[in-house]
Amino acid sequence: MTRNYSNWPIILVLLLISAPIIVMYAFLLVDTVTTSPPGSAIPNGFTLSHWRFLIDPTATGDVWGPTLTTILFTASIVLIVLGVSSTAGYALSRLNMPFRRFFLGGILVMHAFPLVTLIIGVFLVLQFVGLYNTLTGVVLVKAGLMLPFGIWIMKGFYDTVPWEIEMAGVQDGASRFTVWRRLILPQVRPGLFALALFAAIDAWGEYMLPRILAPSADFEVLSIYLNTVSDPDSTTYNFNLFKSVGLFYTLPILALYAIFRDRLMNIFGGGTKG
Amino acid sequence: MRTRSYMVGLAFMSPALVVLIGFFFLPVVLTAVFAFTNMSTSTGISGGSYVVTGNLLTALKENGVPVEIADALSKASFVVDPEGIAKARDAGTDPAFLAEIEQQLGGRTFTDERLFERELKTLQHRPRSIRDLKLAVDQFELSILNSRFTSESAARQAIATFLPSAPADTVDQIVEASYTGWTWTTANFKQLFSTSDTWRIVLNTVFYVAVTLSFTVFVGLFLAVTTFYLPAGAASAFSMLWLLPRITPIVLYAVMWKWFTWEGGFLYTAADALGLPAFNYMKGSVPTAWTIVIMVNGFIGAAFAMILFSSALKAIPVQQLWASEVDGASRWQQIRYIILPHLRWPILFVTSYQTLSLLSSYQEIWLTTNGGPGRTTTVWALESFNTALNSYTGNLQYGLGAAMALILVIVGVSLSIIYLRLFRFDELLGRPKIEF
Amino acid sequence: MTVASFMKSATLAAALLASTAVLASAKDVTIKVWAGGTGPTNDYRIEAIKMAADILEREAVIRGEELNVTVEGQTWTTWDDFKQAVTLAAESNTAPNIIVSGHEDIGTWSQSGLLRPVEDYVDFDAWPLNQLYPNLIDVASFDGRVWGIPQDAESRPFFFSRSHMKAIGYTDADIEALPGKVESGEYTLYSMLDDAKKMQDAGVVEPGKGFMPRPSNGTDYWQFYQSFGGEMTDRESGKLVLDRQALTDMYQFFVDAVEKGVVPATYLGTTWDSWHDAVAHDKAGIWHGGTWHKAEWETKWGLKDFFGQMQYSLIPAGNEKGRANTITHPLVYLLSTTGTDDDATIAAELITIASEPRINALHAVKSGHLAIGTAEAEIPLYANDRWTTVATEALLPHATSLPNDPDFGVVWKAMYKGLEASWTKTSPVADAVSGVESEIKATLGDKVVIR
Repeated sequence: MTRNYSNWPIILVLLLISAPIIVMYAFLLVDTVTTSPPGSAIPNGFTLSHWRFLIDPTATGDVWGPTLTTILFTASIVLIVLGVSSTAGYALSRLNMPFRRFFLGGILVMHAFPLVTLIIGVFLVLQFVGLYNTLTGVVLVKAGLMLPFGIWIMKGFYDTVPWEIEMAGVQDGASRFTVWRRLILPQVRPGLFALALFAAIDAWGEYMLPRILAPSADFEVLSIYLNTVSDPDSTTYNFNLFKSVGLFYTLPILALYAIFRDRLMNIFGGGTKG
Repeated sequence: MRTRSYMVGLAFMSPALVVLIGFFFLPVVLTAVFAFTNMSTSTGISGGSYVVTGNLLTALKENGVPVEIADALSKASFVVDPEGIAKARDAGTDPAFLAEIEQQLGGRTFTDERLFERELKTLQHRPRSIRDLKLAVDQFELSILNSRFTSESAARQAIATFLPSAPADTVDQIVEASYTGWTWTTANFKQLFSTSDTWRIVLNTVFYVAVTLSFTVFVGLFLAVTTFYLPAGAASAFSMLWLLPRITPIVLYAVMWKWFTWEGGFLYTAADALGLPAFNYMKGSVPTAWTIVIMVNGFIGAAFAMILFSSALKAIPVQQLWASEVDGASRWQQIRYIILPHLRWPILFVTSYQTLSLLSSYQEIWLTTNGGPGRTTTVWALESFNTALNSYTGNLQYGLGAAMALILVIVGVSLSIIYLRLFRFDELLGRPKIEF
Repeated sequence: MTVASFMKSATLAAALLASTAVLASAKDVTIKVWAGGTGPTNDYRIEAIKMAADILEREAVIRGEELNVTVEGQTWTTWDDFKQAVTLAAESNTAPNIIVSGHEDIGTWSQSGLLRPVEDYVDFDAWPLNQLYPNLIDVASFDGRVWGIPQDAESRPFFFSRSHMKAIGYTDADIEALPGKVESGEYTLYSMLDDAKKMQDAGVVEPGKGFMPRPSNGTDYWQFYQSFGGEMTDRESGKLVLDRQALTDMYQFFVDAVEKGVVPATYLGTTWDSWHDAVAHDKAGIWHGGTWHKAEWETKWGLKDFFGQMQYSLIPAGNEKGRANTITHPLVYLLSTTGTDDDATIAAELITIASEPRINALHAVKSGHLAIGTAEAEIPLYANDRWTTVATEALLPHATSLPNDPDFGVVWKAMYKGLEASWTKTSPVADAVSGVESEIKATLGDKVVIR
């Protein structure tokens, strides 16, 4: 359809408004392997020296420790979000319980209300349960932050599963739990997968919570590590080095995004109703 | 039967409930509580103790505590008498040292701790560790000055024992004033409503939310509509590109913007080469600072809007578009009469959802302009965070910060309730079809 | 007699018993040290504690004891993150044993029960603490008690670019006489603005770089308040003071500077890097900074000939009510209430040893700070360093310091907010001043005397 119009003007305008993104990301890539003279943005030489931080801990400090921590951090969050959202989403979609309406409304309200503004209260809760300044504490808070979204998404996926499957299971005498685990859960696998991707990307980029809730802990996630590298007061400050570390940090996300683009698109728009 | 099904439902909900109560409900409640206190770094969060200090007594004198009582309380003396010796012995001071103290200094009184310590240091059996010496000195002290009492009654009793002649109401006044912890107050709200600064921040916030939101919706719309008309390859390239800001970790994203706009950065170098004014655009002028704050946040939001709009556009029957073209409709007419009406609900949704997230977001501003230049790009959420947790001068005002956060909570919850109505929340609540 | 708090003696007794028991056997202690505002040039704030730990261990061996002290240091380059971390850690009882912070935190932190008074743990009559400058010990005291051991001292001078001053007609002799004129009050802040403007008109510095104040919040801005006759505390009552007139004049001064075009309206919040770049590479006319900046300019920004490139002086007086001045903002070693009394005793010994003149001189000279005691000023490393010596002799005698009052942070925050509002012309000077006044009144009531 619509062959009678030329696409070039549109593409040109699109390129123009996308220019900041294109420039920023193009230079992110290029700068990590090139050198450029001072006062110019145009590179004049190829080098791999900005990547030396991968093998040389003196460049910016050990990068693999924080990488492992970030993987652990992300994986724990994904597991918690998946586990809790899949049960709660099922309950909200299929089960009869008191205050169902209230729960659903509450989750929608929470979903729209990021927790970061209540961080002092969060701090107190963590301190009370003895999890301030620990990885576990930050994981729990971050997972908690994602739950309303996760539950809402999972509820949406459960809603699309035909009732007949469940009816059949229940008539065969299985408990609701067995029905959920054996029959329903496999049906929402695409939803679980999309949610896992989303949670992984979100957790991987988290910066604020570790910084405030675990400022002096023994572990360091990559976002904090990257921020230290970007500090102009640090002895190893070098912008291209920073960009290399930044790219290294972002690569897993870009990879996930490139591979599973369609599934992610679904869930990024997933704040919609139903 | 009904209770049993309730139980199953609640059991499935329980993990979520635990986490949500712990990390959403409790923090909100605590914030509401703190909002009515004068809690700050100096009062501490977990409660205070009772300490009578020199400055406190000076202040109390001005507030009606009789001078002689205040002066009596502010005196410290060190008396070497059998009682003190016995106490020091119980406290574990070296008996040889004590015997020497008794022999050399027995019966003497010192008003200056330093002098007393110096005397003790001349003794042969003095402990080698200065800490042990000071601990011994403390046993001879007759004073309540600077002692921390953990409870009110302990403080009251200490004052009464030290100064039996003090009238009860004076003791009450002193004890009350000596409390170092937080107290209940509504002063936070009074202060917020009385200063002009508040209104400036409110204006900033409204401006920020309104402009960023328009940016988000218009750019999102533009992207969705244009990519809709583009061939699949180009469309997907652009949509992938616009998702990058949304998935890039915030630390990297913020620094990329700095690189783009700071001196020596891309724009700076380009402007310099072209002879245009080159300066730090993020911090060097108010209009450019706002532009960048809005773009930093708008680019993230635009991706979100674009996806929603695009998926809504896919639902438009293609025949309808073909038919309109056959009828000779221009592309603009197509957009105006077919596409935009289709996007009414998604636009409304993006608007309401983004309003809420923009109201409470401050990470991006914090990491880029940090509210500057001056305080021109400071918004409510950022100010609340800075007041409560991020102060250069070191006095974190938890109470005031919580009051600001609470106002934000109230605004947010009210807006969400309105939106829930708007989106006909009831329709989302199908009854479960299996009833036992 | 009976009064000396029962509670107190009971805990002290326990502590005493514990400490005697400890000395008998081998002991492993971990001491955590956190330092704020500390970059690479200031690393001796932590290193000194590590050196002290080594000495303490050796001393223990000689006494026939076994002591292993592990020092865990952590630094923050900024202040806000550091203070947030310390405060929250203290609430959860995980504060470090030794805190290295600005002296103005003593008021707040001692009130909240986060600090142990250092005077209960160390002997100010004995070496090396007996040679500390008494005014620095005063700075580390609050409410009649000594809470910290001074870690360093500095002053915050004005700097003039010699070459740019010459370009607008100053001779070498004029430039040499300048500090004297500043001190006498002959050369004021407004004379300075005129000179900065002349430099810009002469084209030797770019517009907006004639006068380059500190780009962010800091102690420095109180110097300008003092230049216009402002006082921070009332001498008689010891209460905090806010002088409306001085505040108005000070805000007006920066507005005038903006109007003259020697500093941009959006100046506050620009980056330190661009400031360092301008002043170290002689692109700025007149600016103010700290004595420690010389070290940074030399190590990071390639400054070669400090004395040939820059002249320094006190902060000039603003008008006839004020005087030329500078503020010293010593950092202090503080003992936290976290940990056992025993740990605190060891931490106290560490900070005492770290105050040894030779050890502290390493920090002073490396980072461009000033000596904390008379003996340190004689250590060759320090005494042979021209900058530390002139700064100690020419600037330090005029230095004042911020009050340690726990409420000062509120006043400071309000002052800076008002400065930002008037500087950016978001609000007129008079409104900004009344804004500050109403905020302080609302929060602190009559705890602050407003003149």
